[in-house]
Amino acid sequence: MTMTSIPQSAASNEPRKDRLRTRASSVRWARRREVLREVMRNPLTVVGVVIITLFLLMAITAPLLTEANQPDPYQSPRDWANIDVGPGVEGHVLGTDSTGGDVLYGIIWGSRLSLQLSLTVVISTLIIGTIVGSVAAMRGGRLDNFLMRIVDVFLAIPELIFALAIAAVLGPSFRNIILALAVVFWVKYARIIRGEIIRVKQTDYVAAARVVGDSTWNIYRKDVLPNAVTPLVVQATLDMGNVVLIGAALSYIGLAQAGLTEWGAMVSAGQSGILAGQWWVSTFAGVAILLWALAFNLVGDGLRDALDPKTEGR
Amino acid sequence: MMNSDDWLLRVEDLSVHFRTPRGVVQAVDHVSFEVKPKETLALVGETGCGKSVTARSIMKLVPEPPGEYASGAVLLRNLKTGAVTDMLSAPMDQVRATRGDRIAMIFQDPGKALNPSLTIGRQLAEVFGEHRAAMLLTQAGIDPEKGPIGSGSIASQRAGVLRRNFFHLTRRGHSRAIRAAVDDAVMSALSDTGIPNPRKVMSSYPHELSGGMKQRVMIAQALACDPDLLIADEPTTALDVTIQARILDLINDMQQRRGTAILYITHDLSLVRQFADRLAVMYAGRIVESGPALEVLKSPQHPYTQGLLAAIPRAGTPRGKLAAIAGSVPQLIDPPAQCHFSSRCTWCAEACTSHIPKLIHMPGDRDVACLRFEQADSIGVDPSDMPSHVASAEVVS
Amino acid sequence: MSVAVEHPNIGPSAASGSGDVMTLHDVKVHYPVKEGVLQRVTGAVRAVDGVDLSIRRGQTLGLVGESGCGKTTLGRVIAGLVPATGGDIWFDLDDSSKLLMERLRAIPKDSMSREDKALWSQLESNHRLGSMSRERQRIYRRNCQFVFQDAFASLNPRQLVRDIVGRPLRVYHEASGNDLDLKVINLLERVGLGPQHLLRYPHQFSGGQRQRISIARALALNPEFVVLDEPTSALDVSVQAQILNLLVELQEDLGLTYLFITHDLGVVQHMSDYLAVMYLGKIAEIGPTEDVFSNPLHPYTKVLRDSNPSLEGDDLDGSAHLRLTGTVPNPIDPPQGCRLHPRCPVSQPECGWQVDDMFQSLETSTPASFETITRVERSGPFAAQLVMTDDAAARHLHEEITSSRSPFGRAVETITLDGANVSIRLREVEEIPLIPVAPGRMSSCLLAGRPGGINPPSESR
Repeated sequence: MTMTSIPQSAASNEPRKDRLRTRASSVRWARRREVLREVMRNPLTVVGVVIITLFLLMAITAPLLTEANQPDPYQSPRDWANIDVGPGVEGHVLGTDSTGGDVLYGIIWGSRLSLQLSLTVVISTLIIGTIVGSVAAMRGGRLDNFLMRIVDVFLAIPELIFALAIAAVLGPSFRNIILALAVVFWVKYARIIRGEIIRVKQTDYVAAARVVGDSTWNIYRKDVLPNAVTPLVVQATLDMGNVVLIGAALSYIGLAQAGLTEWGAMVSAGQSGILAGQWWVSTFAGVAILLWALAFNLVGDGLRDALDPKTEGR
Repeated sequence: MMNSDDWLLRVEDLSVHFRTPRGVVQAVDHVSFEVKPKETLALVGETGCGKSVTARSIMKLVPEPPGEYASGAVLLRNLKTGAVTDMLSAPMDQVRATRGDRIAMIFQDPGKALNPSLTIGRQLAEVFGEHRAAMLLTQAGIDPEKGPIGSGSIASQRAGVLRRNFFHLTRRGHSRAIRAAVDDAVMSALSDTGIPNPRKVMSSYPHELSGGMKQRVMIAQALACDPDLLIADEPTTALDVTIQARILDLINDMQQRRGTAILYITHDLSLVRQFADRLAVMYAGRIVESGPALEVLKSPQHPYTQGLLAAIPRAGTPRGKLAAIAGSVPQLIDPPAQCHFSSRCTWCAEACTSHIPKLIHMPGDRDVACLRFEQADSIGVDPSDMPSHVASAEVVS
Repeated sequence: MSVAVEHPNIGPSAASGSGDVMTLHDVKVHYPVKEGVLQRVTGAVRAVDGVDLSIRRGQTLGLVGESGCGKTTLGRVIAGLVPATGGDIWFDLDDSSKLLMERLRAIPKDSMSREDKALWSQLESNHRLGSMSRERQRIYRRNCQFVFQDAFASLNPRQLVRDIVGRPLRVYHEASGNDLDLKVINLLERVGLGPQHLLRYPHQFSGGQRQRISIARALALNPEFVVLDEPTSALDVSVQAQILNLLVELQEDLGLTYLFITHDLGVVQHMSDYLAVMYLGKIAEIGPTEDVFSNPLHPYTKVLRDSNPSLEGDDLDGSAHLRLTGTVPNPIDPPQGCRLHPRCPVSQPECGWQVDDMFQSLETSTPASFETITRVERSGPFAAQLVMTDDAAARHLHEEITSSRSPFGRAVETITLDGANVSIRLREVEEIPLIPVAPGRMSSCLLAGRPGGINPPSESR
C-alpha cells in the first residue's frame, strides 16, 4: 500500500517549517476545543459554568458594584441608622445585619474572599500533592512507603475536624483558615496522583518510551503526567467548592476575625436574628455558599464524565 | 431457499441502528438468513461488520437506546407445534421465556457471563430451577402439577407457578430430595461437557477456573434446557489453540448428540471449515455471500470473501506475498447508498458507487451480493459502468 | 573482539555479517510471590525458567506458545524492559566472541586465569546486558526496538504522530525542527502512511494504521533488531496481511532481524526462518520452521500444530489428532522433569512423575479413593507417606497403583503397605534439558531421539 509521496521540493522549503509548527499548535487547540465541547454537552455543567462565571464577575467588579469600605473593604460598612432592616429597604437590597452591615455588600465582597480562599488552597495543595505523589510513585520502594504512611495518617482524620484543630491552635484569622485547609487538602491529591502514575507507568506507551531510551524525567513530563492528571483536575474542581464549604464552617464557628464579609461568618452573625424573624442575613449568605459549592460540584462532575479515561479520545 | 418449510430461525430484512452524537450507525443493514434445524450456520466477518449485533438481535439483547431495530423480523419456529414467534415484536415476557429455554447463547468472554460471587454449582442450580423445574420435581418424587396455588393452564404461566412451587416445597422439608435432584442434574450437565471432577468444579468460584473450564461451564449452562438453537458468539477467541480445539470438539459433539442448531459467530474463516454446514459472510453490516461452507471456501465469489481467504497465511504462500485487501472498513455512520466494499474492491466500477447490490441467488444454494453478477438493465445503468460480468453458470463449474 | 563502537549502527554495515544479535543463556525471570502483612516472599512465579536461545543476524526467529507460557516476558527481557533474574543475555556477539564466551563460561569464576578474567570482563562490558558500558548500552538501546501487540496502548494518546514517531530522533539528538518533520514524513511513507497523517492523534487512526505508526517509531533509529510482540493479533485478517507484508518488505530492505512472538501458528509459519516453541517458561523445541511443522520433535509442538484450524487440511475427523488433557499447571510450582508430562498424550515413566501428579490423577480418575487419604507426609517431590482412613482403603490404593498400566504407575519404584500407611517412592528425574536431536533441531522430549519418535505407541506399531 503506497500513499502519495510529498513533493521533493519540500526538503528545501524553509517556510514549511513554520507552517508545520503553527499547524501543530492549531491541531492541539482544535483537540482542546473538542474536549471542551464534549464537557459542555451536559446542561448541568453549563449551569455550573454560568454560576461560576457570575461569581467571578462579581468578585472582579466588586469595587464597581458597591463602593469599597475604607480602610478595610472586607468589613461591611456600618449603617447604624438601619439595623436589622429586611430586604428591599432603600439602600439595602438584601437588608442589613444587627450591626448595620449591608448583606449585599457582604456577599459581593465575600465572593472575593471565597475565591481567594479556594484558589490559594487548591493551587498550593495541588502543587504539594503532585510533587509528593509523583516522587512516591516514580521512585517507589521505601520512600513511597514512607510518604504514603504519612498520607494515611492525614487521611485518617476527617478534613473538617483536622482543619478545625489546626485553625484553633493558630488562632482566629482568615489567613489561618487558609493555612489550616492547605495542611489538610494536599494528601488527597498526593494519593490520587500516585495511584494514577502507578497505573500510567504500566502502560505500553511508557514501555515504548523506555525502549526508545528516553530519560525518566522526559517520560514523566511527556507520558506520565499528562495522562495521570485528569482525575486530579476533576478533584481540584470539586474542591474549589468544598474548600469554601469547609472554610465557611470554620468561620461559622468563629475562627475568622469578627465582622469579616466572609459568607460563613455572615451565616453565623445572622443566626441569632433568625428566631426574631430576621431570616435574611443567614439565608442570603447561606445561599451564596450553597451556589458556590453546587456550581463547582456540577462542573467537577461534568468533567469527570467527559474526561473519563475509558471513553476519552475514542 | 426462503420457501422451504424446514426452518428453525428466520431473520428477515433485519436492520439495527445505533444513535450516536455523530450520526446514525447502520450496524446491521437489511440482513436476511435462516437456520435450519440441526444445522450449523457460521456468520463470519471482521471487527465491526455487525455479526455480533445480529446475534444479539436474535435474543433481542441490543440495548435500546442507543440501539434501535429499524426494520425486519426475527422469526423463531416451534418445531413441535409449528407456531412462529417474532422475537422483535413479541411481548417481553414471551421473549424472556424463549431466551435460555429455546435459544441459548455463549459468549466470547465466559468470565464476564458468570457471577463472580456465586459458586458454579449455585449458578447452574438457578438456571435449572428456572427452566427445568418440572423435570427436577418429578425426579425428586414430587408431582409438579400439585401446588398450593391453583394451576394456571397457560403455558407461559406454567414456568412461574412451577418455580414458586419449587421454592415453596423447598421450604417444606422436601428440600433434601430437591437439592439432590438439582445437584445430580448440574453434575451430569457438567460431566457432559467433559469437565473432570464436576463435584469440585461445582463448589468453585469462577475465578478459580481456567478460561477453557469456564467456557465448558457456560456450555453446560446454555445446553441445560436443550435449546433448539445455540448462538455461539466467538466462543473460542479468548482461548488458546489447544483449548480451542477441545471446546470445538465439545460443541460439535454436543450438537451431534442433541441435534441443536448452532449459529456460530466468528472472525476466523479457518474455523468454519471444521464444522459449519453453511456459511454467511458479512461486511459492513450486510451479508455479501452465503452458501454451503465448503463450497464457499473452495470457490468464493464475492471479491471480499476472495480477499479474506487469500489474506490468511498458508503454508505455500511466499513470504511477504500475502494478498492483503487494501484500505480499511468504511465508517457506517450515515453511509452512502453504494456497495460498501467498493472502496477496497479491485473490480469497482461506476455502478458500484451508486447502487447497493442485492443478494442474488445462484445455483448450488449460493447467494452473492455483487454487481458483477447482476445485469446492467435490471438495475438500470449503462453496461459500460458495470464491473466485468460473471455469469452465474460459471460458479457451479 | 572487533566492536564498532564508533558506529552507532552495527548490522550489515559492520564487517561481521553473521553472528548472533542476541544470545541467551539460562535466562530466568522469576517474579516473587509475597504473602501476608509482612510481605514475606513465599515463592516465585517462574515466568521464564532457564531459556537458551540464539537469534542469528538477519533472520526471523518465531517464538510461539500459549498464553502464560512466558513468551511475552522473554521478549521484554530481550528488549531490556524487564530485568532477568538469572542467566546471561549477550548482545551482538560475532562468531569468534561467541566461542570465547562459551569457552570462558565453562571455567568456574575462581579458577580463571588472570588474562581470562580480563577477557571476560571486557566481554561483559561490551556485550552482556546489565554489565555493558554506557556507550555500548546506548548502541544496544538504539539497535533493539520493540513493537507492541496493542498498538493503541503503546501510543501516548496525548501526543501527535509527529511527536510519537519523532521521539527516538529527539532522544538521540538525531534531528530537530524541520529536519525532524521531514524524517518523520519519510518514516511514515516507509510504512505506507503519508504527510497528511503527521499532525493527528492516535485515536484518529484505524487499528492497522496505528500498528504502522508504532512500526515507524521502532524504525526511526534504524535499528538492527526488532522484537515483534504479537504485532497482528489485535488486527483483522485482511489488515494483518497488510502488516505482515510490510514487515517482510522492511526486513528485506533494511536487513532487519526479527524476534516474532505470536500464538498464531499460521502467521509464524509464514513469517519465520527458525521456530522456538515455548511451554511453561521453557523452550520445548527449536528448529527450522518448515522442519518443525512437517516433523515436530516434541509432543507439545505436534498438539499445537494439530489444534490449529487450517483451511487446507484433508482429514476432517479430529480423532487422529493428539490433544492435551487438563489445564496449564501453576507456574509457581511447575512439574518436575518434563514440564508437559502431566498433560502429555505420549508420556513415559521417566518423564518426571511426582507425588502431586498422583494426587491429581487420583482426584480425577477415582475421587472415591482420593477421599480416603487423610494425611500426607512428603519427603521431596518424588516420595511420600500416605495415611489412609483404614487398612482396607490403604490396600485398595496399593492395589490400584500397582495394577496401573499408565506411565505414572510404571514410574513407581517402591510402594509398601503398612497397615493404613502407604509409602510410595517414584523414579527421581532431573530437569530434562533441551538437547540437539537432529541437525539444527533441538527438543526437550525424551522420545525425540528414540526410534519410534514422539508418535503415540499405537501409531508407531
